[in-house]
Amino acid sequence: MFNILQIIAATEKSGPAIHITPAELFTIGGFGVTNSMFYGFICSLLIIIILVITAQRMTIRPKRGFTQLVEIGTEFIIGTIENSMGSRKKAVYYAPFFASAFFFVMFSNWLGLLPGVGEALTYNGTPLLRPFTADLNGTLAASTIMMILVQYFAIRENGLKGYLRHFFAGNLKNPATYLLGVFEVFSELTRIASLALRLFLNVAIGEIIIAIFTYLGSFAAPVTALPFILLELFVGALQAYIFTMLTIMYLSAAIKHSHDTEEKGESADEMTAQTA
Amino acid sequence: MELDVLAKGIMMGFGMLGPAIGIGLIGSAFMNAVGRNPEAAKYFGQVFVIIAIVELMALLVFASLFII
Repeated sequence: MFNILQIIAATEKSGPAIHITPAELFTIGGFGVTNSMFYGFICSLLIIIILVITAQRMTIRPKRGFTQLVEIGTEFIIGTIENSMGSRKKAVYYAPFFASAFFFVMFSNWLGLLPGVGEALTYNGTPLLRPFTADLNGTLAASTIMMILVQYFAIRENGLKGYLRHFFAGNLKNPATYLLGVFEVFSELTRIASLALRLFLNVAIGEIIIAIFTYLGSFAAPVTALPFILLELFVGALQAYIFTMLTIMYLSAAIKHSHDTEEKGESADEMTAQTA
Repeated sequence: MELDVLAKGIMMGFGMLGPAIGIGLIGSAFMNAVGRNPEAAKYFGQVFVIIAIVELMALLVFASLFII
């Protein structure tokens, strides 16, 4: 086994091409355009065109085909928001933001798996196309925008005072309240980083794994890389779901004030149920 | 043989240990919950969200392979 790997590796001059960072393609007025930005713009244009055409073709009586797929995705997002906020009206109100984030992340992940994305097409020696979500700058921007939206909605729902009370909950004369409030604000900032890192690492490592198994497969590359491409299709949809689901959870936690209420009686029942 | 190959092997081994145990615990807890109360099977989507939180640690380890 080890010998076979060595023989295959010896026939190739270099290892698999692994890029963690995007490469700069050209500059417009001193502003560098990287390959992930370039592909991100292409993906956004495609998504806008596809979704606008689909929205125009939507009828009360359901149609077959792609329209129905988009309807299923949107209905799924509305159902998820309804589950975590408990109100259909709010769910329909907040759905456009989360549905567009969901479709953008999912299509960026899936379009990154197309042949031609990566090493195949080059421009001045650098790969021309790179999936937008396989770039830490892109995912950081996406998660920052989503978290700013969450703060904006929370301020609009509860007012500035209620929004601040969410962080500094408890007795205001107690100095520990302010200490804990600072930690709450800090945890809000770490959510930006964790959302961005999760999406970026999942997609970038998927790309790396596909590259490694294409390289190891040598002449049988389509056979060895196919399972991982199918896995990445699943992971791409799952990460889009997780990205939107976590933002919805943060939003519903920020606009809901149920942590003041005490649970009575139920905890005692649970204790007896566990011991029984 | 260079020593950083050894370092990468140790890092992958120990770094993947924790997330593997964590994901196993999540799965076992979900199965326990469904076994006790079959109504809980509808929370299958939530399991993936919690797994994604744990998986981030494993991905950080894997990504640092290419940095060191």
